[in-house]
Amino acid sequence: MSKVRLVDIAYARSGDKGDISDIGLMAKSKESYELIKKKVTSDRVKQFFGDMVKGSVEVYPMDNIDALEIVMREALGGGATRGLRIDGTGKPICQALLRMEIETD
Amino acid sequence: MKTVAIGHCAMSWGDILEPGVEMAKKANIQYMAFDFLGEVTMSLLYRMRLRDPSRGYIPDIVPWHRALLPLARERGFKLVANWGGANPEAAGDAVVNLAKELGLTGLKVGVIVGDDFSDRIDEMRAKGIKFPNLDTGEEDLDRIKDKMAGAYAYIGADSVIEALKQGADTVIGGRLSDSACLVGPWMYEFGWDYKEPYWNKIGAAITCGHIVECSSSCTGGMMCSLWKDIPQQWNISDPICELNENGEAIITKTPSPGGLVNTWTVKEHLVYEIHDPRNYLMPDGIADFTTPHLEDAGENRVKVTNMSGKPRPDTLKVGIGYEEGWRQEAQQWFCWPDALEKAKRAEFNLREWIKHDARLNPVAMQVDYMGFNMLHGSVVKVPEPKDVPDLPEVGLRVCAKFNTREEADYFRREWSRWTGFDSGFCFNTTAAPSAPARIIALWPTLVPREEIPTRVIMKEVK
Repeated sequence: MSKVRLVDIAYARSGDKGDISDIGLMAKSKESYELIKKKVTSDRVKQFFGDMVKGSVEVYPMDNIDALEIVMREALGGGATRGLRIDGTGKPICQALLRMEIETD
Repeated sequence: MKTVAIGHCAMSWGDILEPGVEMAKKANIQYMAFDFLGEVTMSLLYRMRLRDPSRGYIPDIVPWHRALLPLARERGFKLVANWGGANPEAAGDAVVNLAKELGLTGLKVGVIVGDDFSDRIDEMRAKGIKFPNLDTGEEDLDRIKDKMAGAYAYIGADSVIEALKQGADTVIGGRLSDSACLVGPWMYEFGWDYKEPYWNKIGAAITCGHIVECSSSCTGGMMCSLWKDIPQQWNISDPICELNENGEAIITKTPSPGGLVNTWTVKEHLVYEIHDPRNYLMPDGIADFTTPHLEDAGENRVKVTNMSGKPRPDTLKVGIGYEEGWRQEAQQWFCWPDALEKAKRAEFNLREWIKHDARLNPVAMQVDYMGFNMLHGSVVKVPEPKDVPDLPEVGLRVCAKFNTREEADYFRREWSRWTGFDSGFCFNTTAAPSAPARIIALWPTLVPREEIPTRVIMKEVK
């Protein structure tokens, strides 16, 4: 089974609201979008981040721009105003997701 | 067809002034909007107001007005921003004083108040408003009652429109939602109201406001896709949105060499911290980000069509800030040989010290290996020292939370207990650990819209 890393087929940007981290995962092509839409599920994202994401994960498709919006709760150690992480707003978290490997079939 | 161009020239407190000045000189805009507030910023401003009731606004408001007001008068545009923070009235007074000094007679400063309801919480609770914590469901507001720093609602453009109707040259709000600083001018100019048939058009204004609200983040800043290809990143220019009365827009930027606008730069910000893209909840309406169509329409121009929206929510989002202890950070670097082993020894020393010292009881502590897992946390594995025998250097970052300032300060002063054991000890002579920081946590909740009437205080420079 062949695999591909998300960094090779998508771009990402993340932001925060309170303890919620949002990742916009944008496919580099239509074909890649169909793949990430199928494979990047909420369960898989939750598992990938392990104890960094303590709450639930929701994934919303944006067919108009070939992107997924991934909403991760309890993901910023309490949120930027009270957490202990150096990146309280979690901007680099989107790039961590790009390490994920998914199956191409 | 009427089109109104709004430039957006600050994404946060700490953003730079020069792109705004450049836009004022080179572009044709009717309004310049700014967003200075984030959740962290509001906490800082409340902290500032706690120390001194005459402060609590973004201090940049004075030098920025000094640079922009004369240009605004000459070039014919108005300013709208939320730099009033936790104290819009004091911010307005500061601008009036400046305008007098500059001799800008007749200038109208519109100050929006009413978003801050810190002193009305008890009264509202007595009426049965519960303020449940949206993150945790907790309703026991009494637990934080004595520690509250301030309570504010994210307000919409109602009073921005009112201030513009009254002829304001600069509109200064507190926690105006980011997009309201643009939605207000557009609704005022096009005569849109909060009712049918305007919800799709207000949705378009919110969408456009969202795209430009972090300024250069949609003109080539903060890029994942094209960061290697952005012209003159050091000289990046800010975005301009030309929205027409049909609810269609062009996203462009100041005509200058820095930065870039194309469908990628716009798309990257369209997805930025929006939660459910079908329901982007703002005080002025609910935008649907799954309908807009983006297309390149010439150099540094993106056309946005098919934007849509729904009626505004009956509730407003609220942040109640409360004190929650103290945060102290410390960092130490370790060099070859055995760099990682030394860092691990330091972590061991640290934990032993805390275990044996009754004066230290951190509520929480985070230990990061700088160069390995500080940014990507548990997604990255820190190697075993034997697997990186020739690692040149590695850092250890410790951040701990304490109940009292004394405890945090003690932790900072006794820092050499866990670091000073090796001959390559990096005695940092340029940056000692900073002073403890008070933590202001946020209690996110909702309040019925009718409980937060906002109003305009108009100050004219005589």
